[in-house]
This record gives sequence, C-alpha cells and structure tokens, in this order.
Amino acid sequence: MDEDLSQDDLLEAELRRAAAVLDPVPAHLVRAAVEAFALRGLEAELAELTFDSLEEAAAVRSGYGTRLLTFAVAGRTVDVELSGGEWPGGEGVRLLGGVHPAEPAEVVVEGPLGSLAVRADELGRFSAEGVPLGPFSLRVRFSDAVVATEWITV
Amino acid sequence: MDHEAIGRLFRAAAAGDAAAWKSFVEALSPLVWSVVRAHGLPEADAGEVYQTTWFRLAQNLGRIREPEKVSTWLATTARNEALKAIRARRRLVPGDEDAFERVADERTPEAAVIEAEEEAAAAERDRRLWQAFQELGAKCRRLLRILIGSPPHSYQEAAAALGLSVGSIGPMRQRCLRQLRLLLAERGMG
Repeated sequence: MDEDLSQDDLLEAELRRAAAVLDPVPAHLVRAAVEAFALRGLEAELAELTFDSLEEAAAVRSGYGTRLLTFAVAGRTVDVELSGGEWPGGEGVRLLGGVHPAEPAEVVVEGPLGSLAVRADELGRFSAEGVPLGPFSLRVRFSDAVVATEWITV
Repeated sequence: MDHEAIGRLFRAAAAGDAAAWKSFVEALSPLVWSVVRAHGLPEADAGEVYQTTWFRLAQNLGRIREPEKVSTWLATTARNEALKAIRARRRLVPGDEDAFERVADERTPEAAVIEAEEEAAAAERDRRLWQAFQELGAKCRRLLRILIGSPPHSYQEAAAALGLSVGSIGPMRQRCLRQLRLLLAERGMG
C-alpha cells in the first residue's frame, strides 16, 4: 500500500506540473489580483449580498434574463435589478437600482475596466446602461457614509 | 507552501503589507484558478470569477475570522461564484479545449528544432498526460483539477470547492489516480 501511495504522489506531482504548463493562471489575472490590494476599502462600509435571485433553486434561464440583488449594511439596503444583456453580452446589461431608506446619493458602478458615475434621486432611484459583464461593485456616497457593495460577477 | 506560512502572509497583508499580499496572491492563485477551471468555465468566464473572488477577499481583509482557513474561504467563494456563473450563462467547455489549442500553437516545426530533446520529451509527456486526464470522468477530472491547484497533501480546499466532506477526498483521489494510471497504461505511457 505504501508503494501505491508514493505512486499516487508522483502521478499527482506530474499532473500538477502539466497543469502549470498547459493551464496556468494567466499573468494579467494575477496582476489584477495583486492590484486589488487597493480595493480594501478603508473608508467604506461593506454592504453584504443578502439576496440573489440567481440562488433560487427554481431558476431556469436562457441567456441572461433578470437578476435581482440586495445588499445590506447598518440599516441601509441597496436593491439592484440587472437585465437585458444579449449573450455573448457585447452590449452589457441594464441596471435599475434603489437605496433604502430613500435619499439622494452618488453611485459609482465599478468594474475592472473602469467606473461609471450616476446619481440616485430623492427617491433613492438610479439607473445605468451598458454595465459590462464581469466583476461588479457599487460605491454609494451618502451624506454621512460611503458604502461599497460586495463584489459579485455580473 | 504550508498553511502556517499562508496564514502568516495573509495576516501581514491584512495589517497593510502590500508585498505580503502579492506573495499571498501568487501562492494561492493556482487554487482559485483550479476551482474555476474544474467547474468547466472557459477562460473568459473563469477570469471574471477569479477576479471577483480576489476582489471580494480584498474587501474582506479585516473581516476574515480564521486566517489559517483563508484558503478554504477562497475555494468556497470561487465555487459559489462559479456555480452562479454557470446558472447565469450556461457556458461550459466539455474538456479543456483552450489548453489543447495552446499546445497545438507551440508545436511548430521551428519550435521542435529549437527545443532540446529532453525538453521536447517532457513537453510531449505533459501533453499526453493532460490528454489522458481529459478522458477521465467528470467527477474525477473536477477533483484532480482542484487537488493539483491546492497546497500539496491538503484536502480541505478541495472539500470546500466541491461541497464534499474532507474525509471523502482521500479515497476519491486514490480511485481517480488509479483510473488515470489505467488510461496512461492503455496509451503505453505506464
């Protein structure tokens, strides 16, 4: 049995090496992860994802459909509805959002390719078009606080 | 790198050490990548899920309760995001087609001449090993893909990435490697 175990270790090591050669982590992705250190958000409160319609067991989709999200922190919630996005998604998706309790705020839609600034009106509503697929976070500047939503993949 | 060393790097990063973060990212990138690839995501989607996983860790740097288990946190997060990506978009590759294309690109006549014989033999063996690996059943392929990206002899990451108990990983690994050896023997690679 010991013989088999070391054979297993050897084969796993060979496979490990083959993967490093044939399916390594792309260098630009490692760089992006290293640079993400700047995202530790020292001044912003983190709003966690508390609801995601994509987690509903009965969800059956073709293409993108509509996805509902809720992020929450310290008595505030940010609701997001993402829709549209023809696959393979050259146009990006449409975003409709609302902050509760309602108040005006500056909202920055953030992704690795750049950011997009919009405003929430006095009813807390905001919207954006062409949100790119991929990592997504909202940075919301209220009168008394800055909130960042947990990164998700759109 | 063992879990202690990983935990030390992570704690230093959480305290604001950018160089520690860089080392930490480099040490655990293969794990996150292996989890997303094991779920069948093609390169573009895999890249997005990989990035989201790391960005979310950066946001949560001060909040991770058990720094020694951050590799499990990464595996779990990558798994959850990969599953959502599959549900949202249903783009899967049946095998690792990207890797096949990459190898084919490298095998130009000029490259074959320039490569030393030893290097060529090793590259050929890697390629055939990888091809045999693709012929494994989906469960074995998924398990082994994650194990070879994880810290050696550590099963907790694979358990988290697959939603299985830690105790089931060892026997599955043994069975799957035996399967792989059989496939290699069939191809005369022993």
